Amino acid sequence: MWQKAGTCIGLLLLLSILAGCTVTESAFARTTGNAGSAFAAAMTTLAYEHEGKLTYAFAVSSFADFQSELTGTDQALLAQGAANTRTGRQLLALYTPAMQVIDAPCLSNACDWRAQDALLQRASQAFLEAGNT
Amino acid sequence: MKKQWTSIALGVVTAIGGFLDAGTIATSGEAGAKFGLGLVWIVLVATVAIILLVEMVGRFTAVSKKTYAEAIREDFGFRFYLLPLASEVIAESILLAAELGGISIALSLFTGISWHILFPFVALFIWIIVWRASFNVIENGPALLGLVTLSFLAAIVALGGIPAHLLPTLWHPSFQHGTVADYLYLVAATLGATISPYMLYFYSSGAREEHWTGASLLLNRVTAIVGMSFGSMGSLALLVLAAIVLQPLNISASTLGELGIAMAKPFGIVGSLLFATVLFATCLGAALEVVLAVSYNIAQGFGWEWGENKKPAEAARFNLVMTIFLLIAVAIGLTGIDPLQLALLASTIISLFLPISLSPFLILMNDPQYLGKKTNRRFTNIAMVCILVLAFLVALVSLPLEIITGGG
Amino acid sequence: MLDPRDEVFSIRDILDSQLLTSDGRRIGRVADIEAEVRADDSLVLLYLVAGPQALAGRVNTRLRDLFRFFLRDRFDHRIPLSEVTKFGPTLHLRGNAKDYAVGQSDRWIAEHILRWIPGGR
Repeated sequence: MWQKAGTCIGLLLLLSILAGCTVTESAFARTTGNAGSAFAAAMTTLAYEHEGKLTYAFAVSSFADFQSELTGTDQALLAQGAANTRTGRQLLALYTPAMQVIDAPCLSNACDWRAQDALLQRASQAFLEAGNT
Repeated sequence: MKKQWTSIALGVVTAIGGFLDAGTIATSGEAGAKFGLGLVWIVLVATVAIILLVEMVGRFTAVSKKTYAEAIREDFGFRFYLLPLASEVIAESILLAAELGGISIALSLFTGISWHILFPFVALFIWIIVWRASFNVIENGPALLGLVTLSFLAAIVALGGIPAHLLPTLWHPSFQHGTVADYLYLVAATLGATISPYMLYFYSSGAREEHWTGASLLLNRVTAIVGMSFGSMGSLALLVLAAIVLQPLNISASTLGELGIAMAKPFGIVGSLLFATVLFATCLGAALEVVLAVSYNIAQGFGWEWGENKKPAEAARFNLVMTIFLLIAVAIGLTGIDPLQLALLASTIISLFLPISLSPFLILMNDPQYLGKKTNRRFTNIAMVCILVLAFLVALVSLPLEIITGGG
Repeated sequence: MLDPRDEVFSIRDILDSQLLTSDGRRIGRVADIEAEVRADDSLVLLYLVAGPQALAGRVNTRLRDLFRFFLRDRFDHRIPLSEVTKFGPTLHLRGNAKDYAVGQSDRWIAEHILRWIPGGR
C-alpha cells in the first residue's frame, strides 16, 4: 500500500515535468501570485463585512494582516525589474490605489465601499494574470 | 465500569483537540485553497501514522512505566539523547511561537485588536496555566472547546457537499494556484504537523501523571483510533471547505484569518466566529502540550523532579525550564512573522527531523526489556519506517526549494 | 569466583540511570563513574558522578575542560557507590534528598528565583 503511494508520487512528478509545468516558479510570478491572492481575500472580506457575514472586528483584524502581507510588494516588484516591462508598470500603477484601500478600508456605510471593492478586484485580477503568464 | 467509559470519552475528546493545531489548520487550509482535494491522501497517511504512534507510546509507558525521554537517556546514553533533544528544542520553539500566534490571531478576529499587541498577553496566560494548573485541567479544558470543530462538517453540508468537479483533484491535483514545489512543501508540512513528536513526549508523560498500567491498554487503543480519526475528520473538513470556497475566489489561505471566510460563506457571522473559536481552542491546547512536552523531555532526560501535579517549588528546575522555553518562543513570535508561515516552517522542520525523533522510539517499541510480550507487530514496524522515510525525503527536497524561491 | 548472590552489571546499567532517594525524590542522573585500580589489579567502582562537567565530558574531553574553566567544580558532585541499595535503570539510594549534594539546585532555584514569582511556593 505504501509502495503504491510512493509510485503515485513518482508518477505525479513525472507527469508534471512532462506536461511542461515548472517545479518552481520565478520570483516575479511568486510575488504577483501572492499579491493577487491577498487582494482577492481583501476584496471578499470587504464585501462580506458589508453583507453582514463578518463582524467589524473580524474585518479590521483581517485587513491588518493583509496590510503586513502586501506592504513592500512594490519594492519587491521594482527589484525584480518591473519598471522595465509594460506589465510591470501596469501592476505598479494598480498597486498604489489598491494599497490605499488596504490601509484604510471602508467598513461603514459612510463611504463608497463598492468603488474600493472594484479597485481591489482589478488589482487582484491583474496580479494573478501576471503571475500565470 | 462507568469510570472507564468516562475516561475513554475524555481521551477521545482530547485526541480530537490534539490533532488540530496551528500546524494542521495551516496545512489543511493552504492545501485545499491551492490544490483542491489533491493532498487528501497525505492527510490520510499522516492519520494512520499518528494513530499507530499514539497507540504505541501509550502502550510503551503503560507497560514499562517509563516515559519516552527517560527511555532514550537510559537506553541510548547521554550523547545520543542530545540529538532528539536538540531537534525538539529547535522545532518546537518555532511551533510554540506559531501556536501562541494562532491564539493571538483568534482573539484578534474577535476583538479587532492587533495580534502583535495581544501576543505577549497570550504568552503570559499560557504561562499562568502551566505554572499552576493541574494536569487534568490542562488536558481536558481546551479539548472540550475543540468539539466546535464539528461545525466544519456542518458547513460542508450547508454548502451542498463536495461538488463533482472537485473529485478528480483527489488523484490529479490542479497546479493552477501553486507549483509542484509548493505541493511537496505542503506534503512535508502535513506530515510534520500531524506526526508531531511533542505528542509522544506529552502523552507518555501524561500516562505517568495519570498512573496508567497494563490495564489501561484498551482505553489507550480506543483513544488513539477513535480520537485521532475524529480529529482527522476536522482537518479534512477544513481542507474541503477551503477547496470549495476559497479556491474559486483565488484566495490562497496564506493567513489564518482568510480561512474564516470559508465558514462565513455558509453561516455568516456565526460561521466566522466558530472558526475563530476552533482556532483559539486548538492552538491553546497545542500550546500547553508543546510547552509541557519540551519541559518533560528536558527534566526527564536530566533526571530532575517533574510533574504538573507538583507545586513549582517541588520541581523547580522543571518549572524554570518551562518558563525559559516560553520566553524563547515569545522572542521568536515578536519577530512579527505571520503565525501561519511559522506553523508551516515548523512543521516542515519537524518532518525533516522525524527520523531522529522517532527511530529511537521504534527501536524501543521492539525491546522486550521494556515491553515484555507487547512489542510491535511487523506490520506496524514496516508502516512506520515507510512513513518516516517518506517524511524525510519530501522535507529534504522541499525545504531548500521553498527557501530558495522565497517561502510558501 | 562469583558468589551466587552477586549480580553482574555492565557499566551501561549504571551510567545514565535515574538517582532516586529513599524519600522518593529524583535528584539527577549518573553522568560518570569514578573507579580505582587496586594493587591486586582489580578495578573497583568508587563513586557515581553527576553534574554539568561530567556530562560535558561524555560528549567531548575538551568540552569538559571548558566547563571546568567556568564552573570550577562547583556543580559536580560524587556519591559513593556504597549508597546504592538497588541497581537498575533507577538507582535507589540509602539516604534522603537532603543528604546528598546532587540535586540541591532544585532547592536553590526554588528559594532564590521561584519565590519571587507569584504562586512559586
